[in-house]
Amino acid sequence: MKKDIYAKMQILSDSAKYDVSCSSSGSENNYKTGELGATHNSGICHTFSADGRCISLLKVLLTNYCIYDCAYCINRASNDIPRAAFSPRELADITINFYKRNYIEGLFLSSGIIESENRTTEMMLRVLEILRFEYKFNGYIHVKLIPGSDAVLIDKVVRLASRVSSNIELPSDASLKLLAPNKTKEKVLQPLKLARDLSLERTEKPIGMSTQLIVGATPESDFDILKLSSVLYDKALLKRVYYSAYIPVNDDKNLPALVNKPPLLREHRLYQADWLLRFYGFGYDELLSQERPHLDEALDPKTIWAMQNLHLFPVEINTASKEELIRIPGIGIRGAHKILSARRFQRLTFEDLSKLKISLKRARYFITCHREFQKEVPLYEETLRRALTTPQKGYMPNLFDVSGITGEL
Amino acid sequence: MILVYDGTFEGFLTLVHEVYYKKYVPHAITKEVPHANLVDTIVEIHYDALQSQKVFQGLKKGFDKKHVDLILHMFLCDHEDFELDLLAYIQLGFKNKKELYNINHPSVFYLQNLQKELLRHYHKYSGFLRFEELEDGTPYAKVKSKFSLVYLLGRHFAKRLNNQNFIIHDVERALACVKAEGDIDIKEVSSYEAPQVSQNEEKFQKLWQTFFQVIAIETRENKALQRQLVPLVYRTYMNEFSAL
Repeated sequence: MKKDIYAKMQILSDSAKYDVSCSSSGSENNYKTGELGATHNSGICHTFSADGRCISLLKVLLTNYCIYDCAYCINRASNDIPRAAFSPRELADITINFYKRNYIEGLFLSSGIIESENRTTEMMLRVLEILRFEYKFNGYIHVKLIPGSDAVLIDKVVRLASRVSSNIELPSDASLKLLAPNKTKEKVLQPLKLARDLSLERTEKPIGMSTQLIVGATPESDFDILKLSSVLYDKALLKRVYYSAYIPVNDDKNLPALVNKPPLLREHRLYQADWLLRFYGFGYDELLSQERPHLDEALDPKTIWAMQNLHLFPVEINTASKEELIRIPGIGIRGAHKILSARRFQRLTFEDLSKLKISLKRARYFITCHREFQKEVPLYEETLRRALTTPQKGYMPNLFDVSGITGEL
Repeated sequence: MILVYDGTFEGFLTLVHEVYYKKYVPHAITKEVPHANLVDTIVEIHYDALQSQKVFQGLKKGFDKKHVDLILHMFLCDHEDFELDLLAYIQLGFKNKKELYNINHPSVFYLQNLQKELLRHYHKYSGFLRFEELEDGTPYAKVKSKFSLVYLLGRHFAKRLNNQNFIIHDVERALACVKAEGDIDIKEVSSYEAPQVSQNEEKFQKLWQTFFQVIAIETRENKALQRQLVPLVYRTYMNEFSAL
């Protein structure tokens, strides 16, 4: 039966929604006179869906027919779900029309494997060619590479895309073997390595690449995951690693039994740690170790790190270097910059920091301001932890709340 | 003393000139003559091209570019009372331009934050603005914001819709940024009637709404987060929300 365009959109964006990546940042502004579209260095979110995720790209599969049978994937061959396929022309037209209406920043193109890896990549390439050559579209295009495609095809894709990715999904080979019998880590990383080498031959800056790891489907610890991310960043292979809390979409004997809620907090802590790796100069082994393989769910990773390293604290705000400032819990890159530029003019006190709207909720336990410091909580891990995890004064009592101690209104 | 000026950048420059040469010390600066007020002296400042030009040259010569940009940006924040702080800011800059980097100074800090808020709104709107295709194929968008954004948005979309004409219409301010035949211009809109949209419009709005609903993962639903990221004030013309 021939499906209408709305049904196709329904099926193919439903199949693509578990892909996390939606960034449109990191490309230079590149508009050309007389052409359509430009990328924006900071990226632009065009709306946010009901789960609070940013939508900046039209995220669809070209088709959800697939010859693979990966246990965690909603589109596995053995699943009985509605299937559909866009023609390259249809998809290109929708993209251009969405773009002109400012719904999206560009296209996130992925696909199930139809017939063969090469055949699939050729179809995706066709979409890229229509967009880039026919419509003169310079906006953002993210392509998920198909592992196992020929180098020639991947090269063509890399030349036309703004960013490419390939999802590792599972952080170890053992888990891949169990859940994705047609994949190995080598096979998944192969197109990324290829893409890096090909684009490095042409320019100094390789094309932006990313990957995605599922968290909570298999027994790997946070330590294993962060170690893997850190290695991938160090090899200059990837710009971003995305973490995706495991959501059961299939029943499989090798998958954990149905859980009620995906491990969202764990995912959140992993992202925080990932930021510390990429922007704050932390090493993965500073945050976690074999002995402490999991991130604390009650407190953020930087605070935990600080409590393990109390000999480095308190830090004097007026003299610390930028590297030291950004390691203070609760102070970020922006806060550090504010402090650096404000202290050139005067010595800063706690009051000055409040005036600069720097949050002291966590930071106040770890800093001194010209020898001034907080005296209520001694600098020990247990006391700090208690102070940081119990709700503070910020709580506004309800008009009819009766104080438990005094009985007063 | 209360100073009254016409609300424009040029008018304000005249005010700066007058304050300097007549040694005024205002405790308020308003755009309209206040009602009956027996206590304060009220001085109306009338725009003077020569004085305004003189101060502008002084700004361009004496201030760093980013500080001149900040001063210009303030006049897009037409709902805010920034005038007294801006006067202090300009006086401070003429004394010593390096002091404008001192964020401990309350006026500098306030104006920098106001500029940040303006640019944040602008950035949000560069994503949240929705064009509709008119009968002749021109993309047309309406905007509603407490800041006057058509200048900034016009510049932004001139880049990305380079081979298109377009109209961005600020309904409340009766202002529109119109790009036609390679020229881009800000126009005052005296009257308008809702324009006819093209035949394709409904199809793509429906596709977009389908996409928008399907892409959310049910088990992760978080409406509070969504509202935090797209506050209701932005949603007036976003068709994916009005369809719900």
